[in-house]
Amino acid sequence: MDQQFTLTKEVRGECLIVTTSGYINNVGGEAIASECGAHFANGIQDVILNLEYSKVVNSIGMSYIIEIIERLQETGGTLVFTNLDAAVEKMLSIMGLFKYARKEATVADALSALGRKGVGHESR
Amino acid sequence: MTMLQETTQDLLCARIAMLQKATHALTRALTLKDFGAQFAGVVQEMFSPVDVHVLFRPEGSVWWQPLMSGNAESGGGALPPVTDEPTPECVVRELPSGVAVSQRLSDGAAFRFYCIRDSAMTGDADLDVITLRLLAYFFDTSYHELQTRKKRKELVFSLNHRLLQLNSLIDTGIEVTKLEARESPQRLALERAAALTNASAGRVRVLRGDLLREEVCFPEGANVAPGWVTKSRIEAEFVFGEETYQFELYNKESRDGVEQFDATDHLLLDALVRQVHASLENRYLHTQALEKQRLEQDLLVAASIQEKILPAKLPDIPGYDIAGINIPSKSVGGDYYDCIPLADGRCALIMADVAGKGIPAALLVSSLHAYLRAYLESGIPLVDLVRRLNQVIYTASTDDKFITAFVAILTPETGTIESVSAGHNPVYCMRADGTVQELNAGGIALGMLEMDFPYQGEITVIDKGEGVLLYTDGIPEAADATMELYESHVPLKEFLLQHRHLSARQFIAGLIHDIRSFTGNAPQNDDITALYVVRSR
Repeated sequence: MDQQFTLTKEVRGECLIVTTSGYINNVGGEAIASECGAHFANGIQDVILNLEYSKVVNSIGMSYIIEIIERLQETGGTLVFTNLDAAVEKMLSIMGLFKYARKEATVADALSALGRKGVGHESR
Repeated sequence: MTMLQETTQDLLCARIAMLQKATHALTRALTLKDFGAQFAGVVQEMFSPVDVHVLFRPEGSVWWQPLMSGNAESGGGALPPVTDEPTPECVVRELPSGVAVSQRLSDGAAFRFYCIRDSAMTGDADLDVITLRLLAYFFDTSYHELQTRKKRKELVFSLNHRLLQLNSLIDTGIEVTKLEARESPQRLALERAAALTNASAGRVRVLRGDLLREEVCFPEGANVAPGWVTKSRIEAEFVFGEETYQFELYNKESRDGVEQFDATDHLLLDALVRQVHASLENRYLHTQALEKQRLEQDLLVAASIQEKILPAKLPDIPGYDIAGINIPSKSVGGDYYDCIPLADGRCALIMADVAGKGIPAALLVSSLHAYLRAYLESGIPLVDLVRRLNQVIYTASTDDKFITAFVAILTPETGTIESVSAGHNPVYCMRADGTVQELNAGGIALGMLEMDFPYQGEITVIDKGEGVLLYTDGIPEAADATMELYESHVPLKEFLLQHRHLSARQFIAGLIHDIRSFTGNAPQNDDITALYVVRSR
């Protein structure tokens, strides 16, 4: 069951990893967009959005995620979703987000995929 | 062409080229704010002013909102007042500190930008005005492009969202039917309803009368207690059994704040709530079906046990012709009969009828069978045997269960029959002289009373051609479609006398045939059991 929204972040090189917990609605979506926006100015190229603890996303929350994708497209960056619940994955698929963003099973997989692309950097 | 003219022309061309270059960046702006910043950049590059301010006024508003409030160095000071109402035609207003350009946009909104300068921009005022007008036109067309793109995106988003709502509705319907019994369909439906309607929170309450039996909140821990501020709210409910399921959604979200739920939201919530209702009903019916299936399996097992208890084949008793039958009215009946040869050459004849049918009756029959066999082997007197049976059956049965039984011991050589009836219907003893004697000495039915009840026995002797008919009340009480009883149609005694010349097997077959002919298609309401023993020499 989704609880009140919380967010944690981690920066690895030029990649921002955002892990959310709870309902991604207006509040949650704005918090994610705000966090990403703050890091874009610091040279963040890619974003990994770990939704392991978020099982419910509404369309307002999704509109913020779309903005992040658009922003990343401007700079050639990538958004990677990870740890998706089946229902959330289907939702993102129907909304057409996987045309512009990627999905990986785990954060490690996402980092690896971004590393192959040459823009992700593991912290040492 | 003069040198001045050439310079002016070159400058204009350069500015137009600059505008064309900027078009790409401007049309890719994601938001109006980005758009304003990009536009300010173009102006800055073109005129290198001290500062650029870009203002925007939405359609229907009287307030100008800054899209770009000057650069950091300038400190974004107060702007010179301009009172002109923007028109579809670009208005360029010279100010002491620069120039202000205003224009109404194609959708009714308006924009204004200030070019703050400390000197003339190019020294060619006409060229500057032409350039500023071009910039205004450029702003308008790019803004129009931005709005078109925004509307297209909103349309695609809206269509996808509708598709998502439909899909989620179907998926939720499937998922709630697949949930394990311990999982709550109302919880899943609440989550989906909140997400699909963009509700901030929701709650399901299950009430039995005024008693709150269950409450589910989404998000978990959301404060939706009475008194919580709700700006918009919808609800739906249904009654299942004695319980009312109330679904509530609160505060429909938008990017601009809370708005009212619309008709689609009502439809979605209603549809999801109906799915929960259907799911609960299906669960109930499924549980009932499983219970029925389990009972049927139990009945099959019980029937199998009883089949083993009832004699598959009656023993051969020299000098006697013997036949029996048991036709249960349900898959597991409550009648029992047997013919058990004893170690001393005698033979026990048993006929019993348990009050009730089904598994409880079968279990009691099984107990009777076990105790009877044990006591018969012990060789105790018949009346003591029946008395002990009464005690053990009383212990083994519930208050509403008892057994009527007739137990007899036949000594084949002499034709002596010692019998005790425990509340059973009389056994008919057919005499050679064409009379029928009733054997009914005994006492109360087995298991009826706890007390150590004394039973009476009786002894009779049958000669060649004489016999005894043991039966249960399913024979005389067999009814036809009009509920007339077989006994009133053909008294069993008469049937016995009329068919006494038949072999035991023929007699039983004839009796069953006669009962069937009488009852016709009427359902069999009770077990039919009979044991017929005739002395043949």
